[in-house]
Amino acid sequence: MSATQARNANAGIVAEIAARRQQDIDALFAAADGIPPAGPADGPPVRDLVGRLSAPGLHLIAEIKRSSPSAGRIAATDDDIVARARAYQAGGAAAISVLCEPHWFGGSVEDLRAVRAAVSIPVLAKEFVVDPRQLEGLRAAGADAVLLLAVLHPGKRALRALVDLALSLGLEPLVEAHDEREVRLALDTDARLIGINNRDLRTLVVDPERAGRLRHLVPDDRLVVAESGVRTVETVARWRAQGFDAALVGEALVRSADPAAAVRAFVRAGGPPHDPANVARRPFAKICGIGDLGSAVAATAAGADGLGLNLVPGTPRFLTLDEAAAIATAVRASAGPSRPAIVAITADATPSALDAIVAALDPDAVQLNGTEPVALVRRVGRPVWKVLHLPKDAPVDVAKAAAPIIETGHAFLTAGVARLLLDTAGGPHPGGTGVRASEALAAAVARELPVTLAGGLTPADVASALRAIPAVGVDVASGVEFPREPGRRPVKDPYLVSLFLKRAAAARDDRPNTPFGPTPVHPGLLDADGAGRWGMERDFGGRYVPETLMAALEQLESAYDALRHDPVFWSELRELLGTFAGRPTPIYRADRLAQAARAEAARLATVAASTNGRQRARSEPVIPTLRLYLKREDLAHTGAHKINNALGQALLTRRLGKTRVIAETGAGQHGVATATACALLDLPCVVYMGAEDIERQGPNVLRMRALGAEVRPVTSGTATLKDAVNEAMRDWVTNVETTHYVLGSAMGPHPYPTIVRDLQRRIGDEAAAQLIAIEGRLPDLALACVGGGSNAIGLLARFIGEPSVRLAVAEAAGDGIETGRHAAAILGGTPGILHGSRSLMLQDRDGQVIEAHSASAGLDYPGIGPQLAALAEGGRIEVAAATDRDAVAAMKATTRTEGILPALETAHAIAALPKLLAGVEGLAGGWPADLLVLVGFSGRGDKDLAALERFADVDAWESAR
Amino acid sequence: MTTTAATATAPAGTNQTAGAQRIAAAFQRARDDGRIALVPYIVAGYPDADTSLAIAIAAADAGADLLEVGLPYSDPLADGATIQRASQVAIAAGATLERSLQLIERVAAARPNLPLIPMGYANQVIGGGDGEAVAKRLGASGAAGLIVVDLTPDEGAPFEAVARAAGLAVVYLVAPTTSNERRARIASRSGGFLYCVSLVGVTGVRASLPPSLGKLVRAVKAVSPVPVAVGFGVSMPSHVRAIAKAGADGTAVGTALVEALGPDGRDVEALARLVRSLRGATHVD
Repeated sequence: MSATQARNANAGIVAEIAARRQQDIDALFAAADGIPPAGPADGPPVRDLVGRLSAPGLHLIAEIKRSSPSAGRIAATDDDIVARARAYQAGGAAAISVLCEPHWFGGSVEDLRAVRAAVSIPVLAKEFVVDPRQLEGLRAAGADAVLLLAVLHPGKRALRALVDLALSLGLEPLVEAHDEREVRLALDTDARLIGINNRDLRTLVVDPERAGRLRHLVPDDRLVVAESGVRTVETVARWRAQGFDAALVGEALVRSADPAAAVRAFVRAGGPPHDPANVARRPFAKICGIGDLGSAVAATAAGADGLGLNLVPGTPRFLTLDEAAAIATAVRASAGPSRPAIVAITADATPSALDAIVAALDPDAVQLNGTEPVALVRRVGRPVWKVLHLPKDAPVDVAKAAAPIIETGHAFLTAGVARLLLDTAGGPHPGGTGVRASEALAAAVARELPVTLAGGLTPADVASALRAIPAVGVDVASGVEFPREPGRRPVKDPYLVSLFLKRAAAARDDRPNTPFGPTPVHPGLLDADGAGRWGMERDFGGRYVPETLMAALEQLESAYDALRHDPVFWSELRELLGTFAGRPTPIYRADRLAQAARAEAARLATVAASTNGRQRARSEPVIPTLRLYLKREDLAHTGAHKINNALGQALLTRRLGKTRVIAETGAGQHGVATATACALLDLPCVVYMGAEDIERQGPNVLRMRALGAEVRPVTSGTATLKDAVNEAMRDWVTNVETTHYVLGSAMGPHPYPTIVRDLQRRIGDEAAAQLIAIEGRLPDLALACVGGGSNAIGLLARFIGEPSVRLAVAEAAGDGIETGRHAAAILGGTPGILHGSRSLMLQDRDGQVIEAHSASAGLDYPGIGPQLAALAEGGRIEVAAATDRDAVAAMKATTRTEGILPALETAHAIAALPKLLAGVEGLAGGWPADLLVLVGFSGRGDKDLAALERFADVDAWESAR
Repeated sequence: MTTTAATATAPAGTNQTAGAQRIAAAFQRARDDGRIALVPYIVAGYPDADTSLAIAIAAADAGADLLEVGLPYSDPLADGATIQRASQVAIAAGATLERSLQLIERVAAARPNLPLIPMGYANQVIGGGDGEAVAKRLGASGAAGLIVVDLTPDEGAPFEAVARAAGLAVVYLVAPTTSNERRARIASRSGGFLYCVSLVGVTGVRASLPPSLGKLVRAVKAVSPVPVAVGFGVSMPSHVRAIAKAGADGTAVGTALVEALGPDGRDVEALARLVRSLRGATHVD
């Protein structure tokens, strides 16, 4: 038995291959008298693989192989590997992997040489390296990277030595592991590339979940490659969401008749999300302490948002004015219009020193790292970035420690600073001690102030920091540098710079429930506590259901707790929403409607003034000019926002392992959306609908049936939405073991209000990002109609923690609140328990639920979700009412001025707008000039044409006729 | 008295209240008699106020050991079609909480040894507050305890405090879907007795009870410090015998009695007959 065989006695097939390879090598070197066939000097210049993989997203390493022990012959015998390699490159592969093993895979070093010559991207030698002597030959043949199997080198030293040798030859080692022990072994080397193989090379068995399970073992400062078991683009998309940097794909590509197209599909699936809501969550990133032009170029190329040039004498990264000016000039000259901001770093500099810095560097901003007084801000003459210092030690009382820092931050913001940085203090070099302060304290400050985190961050921990702390940006210096050489100024490692930026950018991708900025309001308005209670006093929400349902709710709660921050789930949902449901929906600037609303507001204000018996003002009432944007949920598949929740909960049903779906519906929109999601995911679906609503919403009943759902009429109670909810709950009580109840609104027992809010919040998340892209700012007013509240909370959630944004909801006033025939749970209701949670509702003194009245079936509900009740109680939302007739007038006005037929529900929000502008509802007036308004355009109105007939006597606003 | 019950040192649950003791005594009397306790359910105000009083007295005299008095509710989501309909009829006939309390007072006056246990929904009892007002009124009317169908111990602590002050037992429910750990927790908080829901579903007559009922009852009995009564789906003497055999301490019968009253809800004699025949099946062999 040879040494190799002994080493790998338990290593199965891979051991056989390795033993044979050792024989090959021994024979080769014996024939050549021990002289390597080709020296390293013969190798062509190395192509950079880690640079490519440290760019955002998951990249494809496309593999060339002729056969394999698991699949037998894969490619045709006359397969043109050169043409195939070119096709891979054309399709967008980041690198090509070439099998070099001849006996089992039919590969050769000659294949590698031929492929390398035909493409311009890096080539990975997929070889069974058993002998250090193989590495030189592979480099000589042109390999830029080499696979090293941990399973073949179970001793720490051998693997380390191979990695070191490869690195010294310029060969980038990819160390492959397939279990936890091998991962540890791989991490013990200096390899920057770690592969995790789904296939066990001893048995050739593939476990498709293995790589995903092991990913968390590899720190973020390595690049991680997932291997084996890829059949579909969905796998690649999942790997990207799990944080892999590359996928090594072989068989699926080799078997493809059009390899370029196949590669393109995988590459696309691996790209980072680019929808507006995800992009908006990415932090600002500054590379600080740039010490040379090379570092500046690397940071600029990798997409940094800011470059810090340190002008603080006595610090390690100190630059003279001339040095800094030279770098600044070069960056300005070489980079395009989206170049990073050039930031002059100072600490307690005198005003005259600051003047000199500004004159010499012409910086985009000046950063103050010391104990500068607030008054200095106005003296600088450039945008000022101010560093706030955290105490070095973790505080005992976080809130107490945070308070003075927050106070200082507010003072600087008021004085006009453009950006706040949060750094550890007290070290030898203010602003750069390299020590991470207490995360809890940083989070407490970041909750109140827009801060950029600085101090001690590295590629390994920047993502976890950004998830734990709602900072708007990150700043790094020492964490992206080459090891320090004594007496020399530190230099940035381009690989670490781009890896840092990649990790920071991806930290909150597909994590829509991770806060990404300050939210200075009571936490009870933003999220439920552990018992599902909302509000400043936590007196809304909870879980009031028959005991039979408690187990299902607890199961749902724990399943959803796991999914809430699982990027795989949200990535899968985002893809479905994008390709199936038409997201992101656009925002549309409705100028003619805005003008009509303004005129209608003026009319209302005049009427109000005269009915109040006041002297009619000489001039017209002042109504602000406005730009009105509609968030077009009517353009989402099935014609309303409901699809967001239905698709999400249908995916959730699968994760719960349940096989049947039930839902309630009022207007039929949630029923149609649920039936649609169930048709897509092949789930049986029963929709409960009040008999009266079935009468009112015939077309939607037909749609649900066409989609394969069973529509069960509910005749109990008032035969409307509330009774449909009761009946759905009764079904759920009876079939809870197999059935998931897809509740349609942000109401019901905990955790439904959170689940539905989370699934709908992308309405506002998208709209905010879209508005910032167009207008450069958030709206002054966000307005939505409210029934149960899923559309309203979906639009408003993003803005609750934004004090500059006024929030308003429009309730359905039916025949008028004073008539008692309405659906206004906030304006006309009282606290009570309905459908599993405590909220505001319509009820009599005995707690009997009072029937709601609204021409709009979707708003015809006697309750409201608990978070909205909490927002109303907390004074965070303004509430307006629109009667049936108001809504019809607004519906007609919208249709005539904009050519968009809104749902009757949506028309309530439009109807409320002039009332809010005129100050006759909500908080009276107080609007800024040049008002920016966002209205949730929740659905399309085809289903409501009959209502237009019924209210034929109601005309559009006078201004819209 | 009130102050003592409301202090933080008061034990969790309501099993030390006067109402709970009256309930326990009724179960004990049945046990002494070699029987499980029979707990009929009637809907207050169904079909009208006066008839429902006659129904309550008839049920009492035909062999009830305790009596559940349903408080008609507009949205009874744990109830099947029969009780939903009866509740609607009662509300339409003018049933209010005040009238239900009057009924309880009159029955309590007429049959002082019969523990009365109103059964309703959280919004009727607690609604937007802590339920103190309703608990006081129920206590004053002579009720011994209370079943709130959609209230679990998870949300029940504030109401237990006011119920204790009013001397009322808060009876909780366990279901077949309740986990072992949870079952023990609920049992330890239930006052007077523990209501064991026999099946996964809403109230209503079933031809047969689930075959696993015996196992469920034994599991519940094993952890409950208070008597266990089985309800939901119980409609005929054979069901009652099976429940007695399984080792329960009592059984609740509702929908079958409402149905026995006939379509107009006035066949009091038929109801009395059914109660008597169910009572005959309560003997433990």
